[in-house]
Amino acid sequence: MRTAIIAIAILTSIACAPGAQAHAQLDHASPAVGSAVKSSPKDVTLSFTEAVEPKFSSIEVIDAQGAAMNRGSARAVSGNTAQLRVEVKPLKAGTYTVKWRVLSVDTHRTQGSFSFSVGP
Amino acid sequence: MTNRTSLAALYAAAIVLAGMMPASSHEIVGNRMFPATLAIDDPGVADELALPTISLTKSGDTPSARQLDVSAEYSKRITEDFAIAFAPTWSRISAPGGPAGNGAAGFQNLETTFKYRAYANPEHEFVVSTGLSIEWGGSGAQDVGADRFTTYTPTLYFGKGFGDLPASMNWARPFAITGQVGYAIPGSTSTTTVDPDTGDADTEFHPRVLVWGASLQYSLPYLKSAVADIGLPEFVNHLIPIVEASMQTPVSNTLTSGTVTTGTINPGVLWVGQSMQVGIEAVIPVNRQSGTSVGVIGQMHFFLDDIFPHSIGRPIFTSGIAAANRGP
Repeated sequence: MRTAIIAIAILTSIACAPGAQAHAQLDHASPAVGSAVKSSPKDVTLSFTEAVEPKFSSIEVIDAQGAAMNRGSARAVSGNTAQLRVEVKPLKAGTYTVKWRVLSVDTHRTQGSFSFSVGP
Repeated sequence: MTNRTSLAALYAAAIVLAGMMPASSHEIVGNRMFPATLAIDDPGVADELALPTISLTKSGDTPSARQLDVSAEYSKRITEDFAIAFAPTWSRISAPGGPAGNGAAGFQNLETTFKYRAYANPEHEFVVSTGLSIEWGGSGAQDVGADRFTTYTPTLYFGKGFGDLPASMNWARPFAITGQVGYAIPGSTSTTTVDPDTGDADTEFHPRVLVWGASLQYSLPYLKSAVADIGLPEFVNHLIPIVEASMQTPVSNTLTSGTVTTGTINPGVLWVGQSMQVGIEAVIPVNRQSGTSVGVIGQMHFFLDDIFPHSIGRPIFTSGIAAANRGP
């Protein structure tokens, strides 16, 4: 029993350690997930739960017709390895979908999508 | 309690317990993370450790007995899509349970599960896996109801997230269901015991049992990352309220077992972090044969593929980059 308790304690401390690596999931975004912004943002910034590899990650912003609205590809944000940013063209009023695929530094691939809208 | 009644009670307890064996695995398909569930097994194929799973229930025997189960499950991926899991369970049955009515304690039969992820569709958050669970007869203690024969249970698992619903139904997109349908085939059709005093022989038939269950879950992590970040407290953003149903229905060779479905409904909540989760659920028997009072089950669960991504947390045979999602 004592061995089991020690094993659980060790695993818990490893799992909760700040340096523990895991699948990179979207933590928050700007514009926020599901939000409505009054005017077009200049870029879309995604913050992940883990550091990601920009060269093997992508962000795509598409409008309701499926047209790509991002300018270029996703780039790392200086000083934050868990953030990616992509510039966007001027966005008219409407709903936009952000599709992301990332490779975390521990080599796990994850992907996801969300929407935000622009307009009064 | 006669030998025959005692055997029947232990077998019924074993059937109910089988549905409560440690269930684990988590799975990421597109936007969706299917957490490890406590009462049923989910479709996930992963490197992980459920330790411990503790349940406290009161059996459906007459008279009823309190039962404590402490179990673990270690799952190891051989390839990206194929894993083997080992699950020991230790049980303590309080008096008036056990063969002599004084209670009993010991290990249940060791269970091994081979699981293969057959299909995953990230866009529709849909995954199907197939598996074979083997409960090794004679590896546990008969006093706690462990069978002397081996039971084989081929099982189909599935998971479906509702993230592909239209935007007009955003409120429902964090919902997901998982389920399993298995068919437990005992390696022996019957057991005959002879009363040493009277010389009477009792035969207990071992039924084939449909093992089925499902979970309905509402993922607040999904709500935040894929639907709407409404600024909930960080702790709440990690919660997944869940209801599980775990059932067993004897379907053939039921002469002595009867055909009554037994099982439990388990409402509860999971907290899912980056590399571990904890969960707690109430265990509500669906009928008298399934139990006589509400029990409880709790679990700590570690995602070894996240904790040790470069060593024991990766498949033995891998293509290099861990494919958490099989994209189109």
